[in-house]
Amino acid sequence: MAPPADDVRGLFRQELRIQLLERRPKGKEAACFASLCFPNSISDSCRYCSVSAHDGGKQRGERQRVEGMDVPSPSSPWIWDKILEFVEFLRCPVLPVLAMLRFGCVASDLGGFILISMVVPLHTWVLISNFKLAYNMVRRPDGTFDRHLAEFLDRKVPANASPVNGVVSFDILINRASNLLARIYRPAPPNSSHPATPLAGLHHPPSPDQFPVIIFYHGGSFAHSSSNTAIYDSLCRRFVSLCGAVVISVDYRRSPEYRYPCAYDDGWEALKWASTEPWLHSGKDSKLRVFLCGDSSGGNIAHHVAVRAAESGIDVSGNILLNPMFGGNRRTDSEVRLDGKYFVTIQDRDWYWKAYLPEGADRDHPACNPFGPNGGTLKELPFTRSLVIVAGLDLVQDWQLAYVEGLKKAGKDVKLVYREQATIGFYLLPNTDHFYEVMEEIKNFVSSNL
Amino acid sequence: MFTQIRVCSAYPFVIFGFSVPLSGVPQEEKEMKRDHQDAGGGGRGDWYAVAEQEKGKASMGTDDGVDELLAALGYKVRSSDMADVAQKLEQLEMAMESSAAANDDVLFAHPAFDSVHYNPSDISAWVDNILSELNAPPPLPQQPPPPPAASLRHQFDLSPAGTEQYSIGTVDHYSPADVYELKPQSSTASLRDRKRLKVCSAFPSSSTPTDVAAQQVVVVDSQEAGIRLVHALMACAEAVQKDNLKAAGAIVKQISVLAASQGGAMRKVAGYFAEALAHRIYRPQSPRGVSCSSTHESTAFDDMLHQHFYESCPYLKFGHFTANQAILEAFAGCRRVHVVDFGMRQGLQWPALLQALALRPGGPPSFRLTGIGPPQPDNSDSLQEVGWKLAQLAETIRVDFRYRGFVATSLADLEPYLLLGAETDGRGVEDDEPEVVAVNSVFELHRLLARSGALEKVLGTILAVRPRIVTVVEQEANHNGRTFLDRFTEALHYYSTMFDSLEGSTSPPSSPEARRHGQAMSEMYLGRQIYNVVACEGAERTERHEALAQWRARMCRAGFESVPIGSNAFKQASMLLALFDGGEGFRVEENDGCLSLGWHTRPLIATSAWRAAGDPLRTSASS
Repeated sequence: MAPPADDVRGLFRQELRIQLLERRPKGKEAACFASLCFPNSISDSCRYCSVSAHDGGKQRGERQRVEGMDVPSPSSPWIWDKILEFVEFLRCPVLPVLAMLRFGCVASDLGGFILISMVVPLHTWVLISNFKLAYNMVRRPDGTFDRHLAEFLDRKVPANASPVNGVVSFDILINRASNLLARIYRPAPPNSSHPATPLAGLHHPPSPDQFPVIIFYHGGSFAHSSSNTAIYDSLCRRFVSLCGAVVISVDYRRSPEYRYPCAYDDGWEALKWASTEPWLHSGKDSKLRVFLCGDSSGGNIAHHVAVRAAESGIDVSGNILLNPMFGGNRRTDSEVRLDGKYFVTIQDRDWYWKAYLPEGADRDHPACNPFGPNGGTLKELPFTRSLVIVAGLDLVQDWQLAYVEGLKKAGKDVKLVYREQATIGFYLLPNTDHFYEVMEEIKNFVSSNL
Repeated sequence: MFTQIRVCSAYPFVIFGFSVPLSGVPQEEKEMKRDHQDAGGGGRGDWYAVAEQEKGKASMGTDDGVDELLAALGYKVRSSDMADVAQKLEQLEMAMESSAAANDDVLFAHPAFDSVHYNPSDISAWVDNILSELNAPPPLPQQPPPPPAASLRHQFDLSPAGTEQYSIGTVDHYSPADVYELKPQSSTASLRDRKRLKVCSAFPSSSTPTDVAAQQVVVVDSQEAGIRLVHALMACAEAVQKDNLKAAGAIVKQISVLAASQGGAMRKVAGYFAEALAHRIYRPQSPRGVSCSSTHESTAFDDMLHQHFYESCPYLKFGHFTANQAILEAFAGCRRVHVVDFGMRQGLQWPALLQALALRPGGPPSFRLTGIGPPQPDNSDSLQEVGWKLAQLAETIRVDFRYRGFVATSLADLEPYLLLGAETDGRGVEDDEPEVVAVNSVFELHRLLARSGALEKVLGTILAVRPRIVTVVEQEANHNGRTFLDRFTEALHYYSTMFDSLEGSTSPPSSPEARRHGQAMSEMYLGRQIYNVVACEGAERTERHEALAQWRARMCRAGFESVPIGSNAFKQASMLLALFDGGEGFRVEENDGCLSLGWHTRPLIATSAWRAAGDPLRTSASS
């Protein structure tokens, strides 16, 4: 059942961290630790060995993490013997364990047994690896892009004006000339279950009191996804429930067909549109309380649209940047350290920048490196406050941290949330503490700056 | 890219709304973090409660072990397969890394990355497919060759009027009389005399679970007058539903006034809906429902409108093209093939397939076509005429072709033995190769829902002819909802979007006048459907469009399973759209192995492919 140890070692390239459990599990109780291997799949029973996980669940609370205990060496035969012993002990299929070894696994010594768990939950690993695979297939080394295949592989969701968990959505063509679409998410209007009324309420403010409007720019490194992509549909729906907001997800033009500054132009167009819609204004002062939000390239767009807003005198209540995509010519420490680990390579990043930035521009272009050698200063501008989320296992993090420093230097209000053990895309699935805590941060940021 | 010519810039804001896809309803997620879920504990707020609620629903919606977390994000992976999928993804990743390390270009030159992809929602099967190609030793000759650009172009040229071009240059050694069987079978005479549809006063008891979910939005322009117009239409429909005809009559008069103040698509759509409402309101009521005037006089006119709809917008072409692609792939390697077309009309779909078969590596198969159509009012045999034209084309491009036309009042009158028929000319008797059958239906199946049991009968007939593939093209909307108001609302959204797309697109070879004419005819074609949905009831309400999810449920109940349509057809269909005004507003989408064509993000028609459940994808040639 177990593959030859050499093969196993071949799979195992990540650094190992050891977690110690305080007490050694006994008998059946121990078997339940199989479910701990897959922290996001703990349900009533372990899916891999059909043993009830209730005891395991209790154990989990008692587990104590001992940081910094490194395994002698990742290739040490000792650790592999222990892992195989553990697998045999569990009588679980060996494959699941191997699959998770690939990724940031954490091995725990149970006093004779090794417990393995992952930094990246299995679901997240499958989801993001699947994206990675698809993206690798549509990106060509010559800088061109297989848009048809990308669209075929992208999972999309239609808008839905019937309330699902109190949220409705509809698509709106906000500029017929440029074909710019946006998907609007909002709390369901009252009586929206009546077939003739959903429309009636769509253009009414969701609340007589002040409410936030979040303009959301989806991620995808400027090239992938759109406003109807399932992962972003799901995220925007969360934002509605989380913040009581109206969310406007912008279907901006993507690279490489449309380079800089098309995405910013479309992002800006959406903000201008929102500022002219009466139903999005709220409170006694009838004001647009708008937040710009985005992940990856969307975070980058949010920044640049906020700069234009500051230049044009449109008031933005706040910026929420999730793992924003920034960069620069030089290679940072995190880029070197994390290259090829946790889903992302420097080569990919370079490809996307090359596809987005103007022909011939390098990564010190201000779109990519706003506080770099060619960047401007925000000192004189009424630039809004920011919440910047950085994942500690994202190789772009040094640029994100530099961005936060840049804002601080310009005297702007910025809050950094740094999640050491998080990877890209952690906010797509509600299966980690990172997810819940970051959502809580966003909620607080919005409500306190409304 | 392309310069956009926008006719209706007068009203810039249009909303497109959608119904819920039933299979994917509601986006559930399973919350794992129980410690976060003390909803009563304050502080955490509503959204945790929502998550909890979602979880409750998830546990109700038993989905044969599909993981809810990923399902909420558009992917179907069985929980028990999760680890296995992870491992395969890893294998692929390593394969890619190693080939990238060897040579940057190798990866992209590898056939696996040019391969046809199927059903990417199903990560497990998708990854398996790539892995198997990756491991396949030498690159095999690519499967169905992409029809060259020339054949795409031909597809558009081949209006019946244009078929003359194929009659020149006949090939000597084929004598049409020997090769083609063009006369309708004698049995059609009896079919023709069969009773017409009975009027059934009750609604068919076929309301599917779908009625649950769908709640649709409207196409509106966000100007005040446009919104009032839509509200007036809704109010009128509601009054009709409540049988308050007096109020309805009063509102319908207002609608025409409001509509006159509008421009573009909205005015036209409102006009058709108002007219249909007026018919419903003022027509004398009979206990059997509203009677409609769809008689035989209109058949020829219908065909003419159909032709214009075909020419001036991409919907039918998309349907034909994707269905043909699926048929072509299913016929790969088969030497004797037979297509049964449930709605022959002018045979617009088949020149392209003939050409694709002619260009097939290894030579074209022997191709039999059975075309089914309704009786003509003047007893003319248009089916035979269409057959002749196709035969001429087949001869020119040297495809061995036989044709039969069947006149049938309803598809439910067909019997399997009629469709398969014995080979009457003795050909093929000595041929051991079994005939591979495809059944094709474009906008036909929904009509069967007007008569209870008819669809089931027809699906049974299809199964009995043992087709390798069944291609179905249907409108992507639910116009067969339980209440009148449901149908009205959905139809209003659907046709507003349709009409908007007609405004926004231009067909390839068109002078402005020809374009306007084509557009007006297409609008009339759709207007007839609107009339049928809104003004007709009972057996006369035949435009009973249902959404993909509903068809999926019906097909599965009848013993079919889906055959995914791949990335190849997707790409080519997308390229086809570029011929329509750059294709900017049109979008092709893949959904659970089916392809849909929509205007912006609103899917409007869908192509699906099916086979008998449990049949292997490709049975061996021996019977």
